[in-house]
Amino acid sequence: MITLKNLSKEYSADSIGLRDVDLHIEPGEFVSVVGQSGTGKTTMVKILIAEEKPSAGVVEIGGWDISDISAHDIPLLRRQIGVIFQDFKLLTKKTVAENVAFALEVAGEATHRIIQVVPRVLDIVGLLHKLDRYPHQLSGGEQQRVAIARSLVHRPKILVADEPTGNLDSINTQEIIEILKKINEFGTTILLVTHNREVVNHLQRRVVTLHDGRIISDEHVGKYRL
Amino acid sequence: MFRIIKFALQDIVRNMSLSFMTVLILILMLLSINTLIVVRVLTDESIRTVKDQIDVSIYFDVDASEEQIQEVRDYVSAFPEVEQETFLDKDKVLAQFKEHYNQDEEILASLDELGDNPLGPTLIIKTREPKDYEKIIRALSVPEYEHIIEAKTFGDTQKAIDRIHIITTQVERFSYILTALFALISFIIIFNTIRVAIFTQRTEIGIKRLVGATSWFIRGPYLIESFVFSVVSVLISFFILHFSLKFLDPYIAVVFEQDYLLSSYLYAHVWTIVGVEFFAVLLLTILSSGLAMQRYLNK
Repeated sequence: MITLKNLSKEYSADSIGLRDVDLHIEPGEFVSVVGQSGTGKTTMVKILIAEEKPSAGVVEIGGWDISDISAHDIPLLRRQIGVIFQDFKLLTKKTVAENVAFALEVAGEATHRIIQVVPRVLDIVGLLHKLDRYPHQLSGGEQQRVAIARSLVHRPKILVADEPTGNLDSINTQEIIEILKKINEFGTTILLVTHNREVVNHLQRRVVTLHDGRIISDEHVGKYRL
Repeated sequence: MFRIIKFALQDIVRNMSLSFMTVLILILMLLSINTLIVVRVLTDESIRTVKDQIDVSIYFDVDASEEQIQEVRDYVSAFPEVEQETFLDKDKVLAQFKEHYNQDEEILASLDELGDNPLGPTLIIKTREPKDYEKIIRALSVPEYEHIIEAKTFGDTQKAIDRIHIITTQVERFSYILTALFALISFIIIFNTIRVAIFTQRTEIGIKRLVGATSWFIRGPYLIESFVFSVVSVLISFFILHFSLKFLDPYIAVVFEQDYLLSSYLYAHVWTIVGVEFFAVLLLTILSSGLAMQRYLNK
């Protein structure tokens, strides 16, 4: 599903994001990428969603080489990957339902289909009763659930979660992780970038550890070891 | 397209304070430009009134024959600079003279004593521009006309004409500079207003890109918003201008002895003013938002 071959990202001579990273993630896997701040976790996410281009190496997503993706194809790629972030990245002037619908609208989905799908997805994340609220009227956990609903609404094969629990308390963190596990059970490949030890240890799934831009361990059922 | 229009209208309503400020700035800029238009109309009218009051009179000798006078008239009319020439024969000149001095019995008595009409015919010439008088007078100051032209008023009024020419040229030049300055200030203010408006929405632009929106899907609503802001600001500023001119016209009429001077100008040029202002504002807002957005779209 995701293949990184000899992937490197160099910002400048003394600032290197990733060094010769090789990683293969099978469809349906739940992989946690861990590491301290500045070890290249976010750089990896940025390369996967084509926010940045690698300095060297190959990135393949579903067999599509996106190493040198054109500006024209970037929106197409992003419509096939669900992404959630630590700061939720919701459109503040749109309601919960509009935020979720937006992901379908940009892809040109028919209006009647959007009207059907959006409440269904919001129901999955437990926010059907708040579809007319604006993001500032929701708690952090609820905002993250909206972001998850938005990332899922176009049924992506991959969900990339960059520190999704970074701004949440332990209860909300648990809720979000449970939702991610449920999504994974439906067959979606999940790449979770985190430095939350409890989350990683609780998951008992594959753990890839980054240090100084390199993969220093890759365990099938791993623990947070830093 | 429907979605882009929907997003644009949503943005306008949900960012009401920002929309209001943008339209307000556009209106203020348009009012400045419109004020300049009014000042130019008044300046032009003032210059025209002053120019209109200038003419040059050619006084023919009493003994000049009709053929000789006709020759001079034909010669003068042939100049493209001459806008109008009015000929007064001896009788008309005498009648005007008497009317002018009808209170002065001494002059009228002297005239009666002379018996014959001592005044020769007069040719009054108006040129398109005050500077052209000198050329006409020079052309008539040749030996062959010396014995039939008794006097020309140009000599007496030359300084006044030169002065008016300098003033009108300076006023015109000043108004061009003022127009250019206003246009530049308007451009800078509108450009920065739009830039600030886009800057406040840079995070939203970034999020839209992350969700998979194409550049045109993001740009589209801003283009529609620019169109709406242009229409609203031009219409409001036009109505303000319309009612301001209605209010000013009676006061202007006292000075220029012409009713509805400003309103007439506005009605005569309504499509030019509205059209040019609309397309200028639209172009400026689209250009500003495009340039401001480019840096966020490229990230």
